[in-house]
Amino acid sequence: MGIAAAAVGALLAGCGGGPGAGGGKVSNAKIVLGVLTDLSGLYADITGPNAVAAVEMAVEDFKRKYGDKAITDNIEVIKADHQNKPEVASTQARQMYDRQQVDALFDVPTSSAALAVATIAQQSKRLYFNTAAATTELAGKSCNKYTYEWAYDAYMLANGTAANVTRQGGKNWYLVYPDYAFGQDMQAKFATAVEAAGGKVVAKDPTPFPSDDFATFLLKAPGLTPKPDVLGALQAGGDLANLVKQYDQFKLRDKGINLAIGLLFDSDIKAIGAAKLAGTTFTTAWFWNLDDEARAWADRFKKRTGQRPTFDHAADYSAATHYLEAVQKAGTDKAEDVSKQLDGMTFSDFFARNATVRPNDHRVVHDAYLVKVKAPAAASEPEDFTELVEKIPADQAFDQPSPACRMG
Amino acid sequence: MLDITGVSASYGEARVLDEVTLQVGDGEVVTLVGRNGAGKTTLLRCVMGLHRAMTGRVVFAGRDLTAVPPHRRARLGIGYVPDDRGIYAGLSVEENLTLPPATLASAWPLPRIYDTFPVLATRRRLPGGKLSGGEHQMLALARVLRTGARVLLCDEPTEGLAPIIVDRIGEILREVKRDGVAVLLVEQNLRFAATVADRHYLLAQGRIVESLRNAEVRQREGELLAYLGL
Amino acid sequence: MTSFLQQAFNGLVSGSFYALLALGLAVIFGMLRVVNFAHGAIYTLGAFGAVWLADSAGLGFWWALLLVPVALAIAGTLAERLLIHRLLALDPLYNFLLTFGIALVCQDLLRMRYGSHSQPYEHAPVTGSFDLGLFEFPRYQVFTLGLSVVVCLAVWLLLTRTRIGTIVRAAIERPELTRAFGIDTGRWVTPVFGFGVGLAALAGVLAAPMRAVNSGMGADLIITVFAVVVIGGLGSVFGSVVAGFTIGMLAALGNLYFPVLSQTSVYLLMAVVLLIRPAGLFGKEEHV
Repeated sequence: MGIAAAAVGALLAGCGGGPGAGGGKVSNAKIVLGVLTDLSGLYADITGPNAVAAVEMAVEDFKRKYGDKAITDNIEVIKADHQNKPEVASTQARQMYDRQQVDALFDVPTSSAALAVATIAQQSKRLYFNTAAATTELAGKSCNKYTYEWAYDAYMLANGTAANVTRQGGKNWYLVYPDYAFGQDMQAKFATAVEAAGGKVVAKDPTPFPSDDFATFLLKAPGLTPKPDVLGALQAGGDLANLVKQYDQFKLRDKGINLAIGLLFDSDIKAIGAAKLAGTTFTTAWFWNLDDEARAWADRFKKRTGQRPTFDHAADYSAATHYLEAVQKAGTDKAEDVSKQLDGMTFSDFFARNATVRPNDHRVVHDAYLVKVKAPAAASEPEDFTELVEKIPADQAFDQPSPACRMG
Repeated sequence: MLDITGVSASYGEARVLDEVTLQVGDGEVVTLVGRNGAGKTTLLRCVMGLHRAMTGRVVFAGRDLTAVPPHRRARLGIGYVPDDRGIYAGLSVEENLTLPPATLASAWPLPRIYDTFPVLATRRRLPGGKLSGGEHQMLALARVLRTGARVLLCDEPTEGLAPIIVDRIGEILREVKRDGVAVLLVEQNLRFAATVADRHYLLAQGRIVESLRNAEVRQREGELLAYLGL
Repeated sequence: MTSFLQQAFNGLVSGSFYALLALGLAVIFGMLRVVNFAHGAIYTLGAFGAVWLADSAGLGFWWALLLVPVALAIAGTLAERLLIHRLLALDPLYNFLLTFGIALVCQDLLRMRYGSHSQPYEHAPVTGSFDLGLFEFPRYQVFTLGLSVVVCLAVWLLLTRTRIGTIVRAAIERPELTRAFGIDTGRWVTPVFGFGVGLAALAGVLAAPMRAVNSGMGADLIITVFAVVVIGGLGSVFGSVVAGFTIGMLAALGNLYFPVLSQTSVYLLMAVVLLIRPAGLFGKEEHV
């Protein structure tokens, strides 16, 4: 508990005490945090049940910190499965806000589902903290004053990776992206970032989703003119594992075409094999082996769940904690008042360093990390997959607020 | 040889056979005559075991067939020539011929089959689907003869065939009869029936309403044809 | 032109998975009149079987290729005997629901044991590329195509040149009538089901070195395979194989030249085929 307590202490140090008043001010005499996530599908391991565990940890730590000074000790965490389907996500979100009296929703992987939930949050006038969906639209033309982006987005992923790889000599890119909201957004952000860094996108192709055969595109790559130096793979999950396995079999690296990956989780590295990916650089919002502070929380998390956390799990904990702190400070769970506490706030915790909650688009900007896959021999434990290449400071990691965002 | 006693059967709610009782002896050819829907095909299917009889029993060569599944009935010596001839379009003529196992002592060897049905010998490699109507019927008959069946259940074997082929089928049935094989024949062609059969049963609405001898059939042909709607 | 041929060849490689799966579905449907909704789950189990053998017993790809299809075929015959067989006399809907349920159970058991992310499988039996004259191709992909073609040919010989084959073809064409010819079709139903299961498991093992191994891998694939079977003609063994390779090729070329249609090309083709030939390319109208 020593290091853990220190971590919690460090996390909470930035936040002042509460208003002192306890109880009576929250709606329905309780605060309900809802985790709407993929409990059994494609993203269940990187978000899923462990995202629920992360939010529960935040609630427990909050109660421990404030004891009977807490605004209420009646804080619940409920969960629901949206199966990565936008229509299911809308229905669930509406039900959670209206019938189960949820005050704030968390997580929500899959961009189309997250966009659907943001709309419901605005209609219901309740808060939604996105940690799992990558689309920049949530802080762009679909932004609203009830929705916050806590962890990452396509711009952050593209900007770090594309700029770095292009600087290292990967001038000509061939982008392959899954043909849905996330992939299209990633593709646009990567193309912009590559060109901004002086590179060129030779070709880009949408790939069927889901797909287990990427040979079509792997065969096409060497024949393009000019021949690409980099294959930018913007797939996720099983599609990505398929693509990298086949990239390896088609020996594109030997043909001078390196691999850059848009979004990579530890589970992907495990699936593909760290040896196949060793040296591959990518950008992440956080990784558990970043430093002592991160490791301390990751150890607590592992004790509870048996697994190392993803950045999504860490972001869920961070968002839930700051939400509860804001309720405590506001002395109410009324969304507009809680929002006032959050907007413009600056903080640093084990997850988000040098963070600011931008008031004009609700994007939380914080340091991001350019990392590379460790060779298996260098790993300190089986789940140790990544090492830091360089830190991307908060003011460069994310895009400027989009003019398309009108919060009203 | 074949004893059918009190057999009733239905399709869903509709009763199609009502207490049918008839016998076919060794070397005897018996026809079932009746309008469409009278239950003739269903009776053959009950004998074969393809349709479940609700009451009554079928005894073949002294053996009660009630609990015997269709493939065992075939192996005991009941040969079925269904109304659509039952030729496998995807199997060659020879595969069609040799599909049913020839386990009985009375089985015809293949050379005798090709001797009796020379057209099949010339078509043996052709898929069953490519034969003419007459060839289909020859193949269907040849197939059950090869197994050495002791009772043939023939469902309208002459329907839609040219007179010369009908004659040939008559010859074959008479040859079979000489071997002591029993034949239960469903037939609308009364003239043909009278040339091969010993007795006739008139089936109406699932019941046997009359039993006729050959001479009676010839005498009352006009009346019977009018009744059958032909 | 070279690139076109290369893509077409690549299509044959993915077609070899469609062909193996569709072939199994077709013989099962032909013999049992059951649309086996568990077929995708069996493919998934095949791939996980390879992973499990490597992790727990240290047995590599060749062992998996031998043991996994046999083991799953045995499991399949047991499932047929104990469950599916009991429902054969009832409305086909019952077995449709049963096999669908079996698929969900398999998928969830795998998810409980392995989670939903992909599993590593580092046991490709052959690496490097073949020079096929006009172009190079990874050896493993060529091997997959070769093995699939050999298996499909072997099944074809089995069906056309042996007594068992004749019986199975007869039973597929006219199940009821075949019993009236002294053949206990019920006796062949179980082995044929096991055989179809074995083919799906074989496809799964073949997929492990080149595709992501996860609990959902079969669920997505099988939808395409159903379309393949319908295009080939439900119950037509020959049609399923031809359609499998053809669809693989068309999908690969479609991905490249008409990316807009890449998700739907198979279903468009299915719609067109059904409009022109309602029983599929090689299908026949149903008899009893």
